[in-house]
Amino acid sequence: MKIKLIPKNEQDLSKVFIFLLPLVVVLSALLNFLKEVFRSFANVLPGNQILNYGLLDKISNQVTYNFLFSFTLVVTVVYLLSKSLGRTIIIFPIFFLTGLGVIGVEFVDVVIGFVSPNLLLDLGNSSVLLLLKTLIVGAFLGLILLNVLAKKEPSIFLSSQFLVGAVIFYLISLLVYRSDFVVMSDNFYVNAVYLSTHIYVGCSFVFLAILYFLITKGLQATLFSKTLGGISFWGYLFLLPWTGFKYFYGTTLPDWIENVSIYLSLSLIIPLLALIVNYSKTVITKENKDPIFSVLISFAFVVFGFTNVLQVISSISNVTPIVSLTNFEYSVRYGYMYSLILILIPFVYHLVPKIYGREFIYGRLETFNAYLMGMSVVLGLSLNALIGINSGFAWNAGANAGNPTIYGEGFLITWSLISTPYTFNLFLSLLFLLSTFLFTLSTLKAIIGGAVTESETVSEVSGGTYE
Amino acid sequence: MSELLAKVAEILGAPETLVQRSAEARAEASGNTVDEVLQSWAGGEAIAASAPEVKEEVAVVEEAPVEEVKEEVAVVEEVKEEVAVVEEAVEQVFEEESVELKNESSLAFITGVIGVAIFTYFFAFAIPKNQSQDLVAESLNNEIEVSQEVLKGAQVYNELNCQSCHTQNVRLLIPDSQNGKILKNRFADEVIIKNTGLLRLGPDLSTSATREPTNNKSWLSRYLKDSASVRDKIPHPNYDFLTSTDLDYLLTYLLSLGEVNE
Repeated sequence: MKIKLIPKNEQDLSKVFIFLLPLVVVLSALLNFLKEVFRSFANVLPGNQILNYGLLDKISNQVTYNFLFSFTLVVTVVYLLSKSLGRTIIIFPIFFLTGLGVIGVEFVDVVIGFVSPNLLLDLGNSSVLLLLKTLIVGAFLGLILLNVLAKKEPSIFLSSQFLVGAVIFYLISLLVYRSDFVVMSDNFYVNAVYLSTHIYVGCSFVFLAILYFLITKGLQATLFSKTLGGISFWGYLFLLPWTGFKYFYGTTLPDWIENVSIYLSLSLIIPLLALIVNYSKTVITKENKDPIFSVLISFAFVVFGFTNVLQVISSISNVTPIVSLTNFEYSVRYGYMYSLILILIPFVYHLVPKIYGREFIYGRLETFNAYLMGMSVVLGLSLNALIGINSGFAWNAGANAGNPTIYGEGFLITWSLISTPYTFNLFLSLLFLLSTFLFTLSTLKAIIGGAVTESETVSEVSGGTYE
Repeated sequence: MSELLAKVAEILGAPETLVQRSAEARAEASGNTVDEVLQSWAGGEAIAASAPEVKEEVAVVEEAPVEEVKEEVAVVEEVKEEVAVVEEAVEQVFEEESVELKNESSLAFITGVIGVAIFTYFFAFAIPKNQSQDLVAESLNNEIEVSQEVLKGAQVYNELNCQSCHTQNVRLLIPDSQNGKILKNRFADEVIIKNTGLLRLGPDLSTSATREPTNNKSWLSRYLKDSASVRDKIPHPNYDFLTSTDLDYLLTYLLSLGEVNE
């Protein structure tokens, strides 16, 4: 196994990334587990400047939603963009450096969180680092658009479309995050828009880019309809950025934007149906009969679909006031992020033979791990939704009884409703951490000890560009 | 048959799965067995071909990989390989599809996506944010004096991420007014604005200094250092690692919450 530190092309770069990706997933799962531990056993565990729930929560979010997300985005762009445009990446050295820059600045935030927790806030918002991050992501987007314009295929593969959408909204989220705080409601605006553009659009679009790649190339199936793919793409692009406002129902956001958010969230059913039909009809024609590979993709798809259903449910007028500003939104956020993590598993397994020329065998370990990871994520989402509904009911009941702040005994009632699901959540986060270790183990085992097979080479469709 | 299949795949330079699919399609169309088709491709006698056979072949290719042709390079290569195996008519179908697909412009696509992004930025963020600020400006005419100790305490509160659990009265009807110091500091500092919290999980602290026992400095100090000694039913982190200065700032801030400052 040779990994070049300075890659010559996207294939070499993918080698490095595929090797590191499982480790980044483990880091994210580890911090999530520690966070859960320090929440459930906060008053019996020794704490310090770093090992306390508040800071771990902040760093865990930073690692999962920023660092892991940006890493995954760059990995996916590096591998899939050239494949779906029919050409090698143009100006590769600059592309390589910009990709590293995107990951690097996100990682700096994580390092700062550990080394100097007091600086995390200052560097995370309205700062020089954020400005630098915005510029680098802008440059990354520019290079991607340049490649798309220079495509050699007559059509842009759906994966490329989703990747372009993800990077554009990643940039928008950074611009939003740089916004000044003047009044209290700015806090809600920035959070609502950042949430929708960065996590909802960003994660789901990278997920969909990989999904379309895997169901056609990985499962060797014929895409049922490109029109339905287009409906899901444009549908999600128009609707998802607006769906975050409803979770701030009743706050200082203007009513009109909360109502728009509710109606557009209900409309998510359209791209979801298009996606479900396209996925089911496509998967029927699959030629790759490996059951575990299919199961892994199915789990990711189920989590993504479930998340969309949660979005729609939370838009029902009776439910919105209960679930707003609760863990219910966390379950939606987790849903988008964890469906992306789940689809990374078959993506990496699929790429090991192609990139490293090593055969990947789905043994007992991989079978066990597929179900372990899938079940832990699905149950985790359900528990967060339950916590959200329970705490929302308690808060609303308190408000109706004349105590809108759930203080003292009122909070004891709330806690009694949510403490058990939190304890289960801790257990599930442990299972998830275990499954990410097993995922890393499977990948390293295949890369180091797998039987030699033919690897993919970088190829370009002959002929001139179409534009 | 697998040996024969491998041989044919080697001769044609195509993946076995594709050769297999092509052979099955050809066999179905011509009424021969798959083996016979493979034999003929491997160098044996050509099997009888008829006019309908070519039509059927075209249909098969249309049905299966054409959609993939739209999608991906590698698949295009596969289709080309398959085309080489079958008839010229198939090649025509592929070319026709290609011509049609050329109309899809990446420039138009990029323009569309950027258009949606700009629309979202302005209509979901910039414009309503300004609207809200105007609304707040109308309802809030006072400036609140906040001491440096309170601001430093607010910063400690934010660094510890206390607002991750403690929602601070986010269920407002009137923006930024009549809700205590923490929400009224339009001109104070953005760090206080951020302390409003976004999750209804922990108790609301926006008026905590107006009630027992959180208005008691020594009780608060003890609770923050060793929460289990005061309340053991609800897990709360111990902040015994804070320096005495930071703890004092934090206590000052918490004890300022709820003061009416009109």
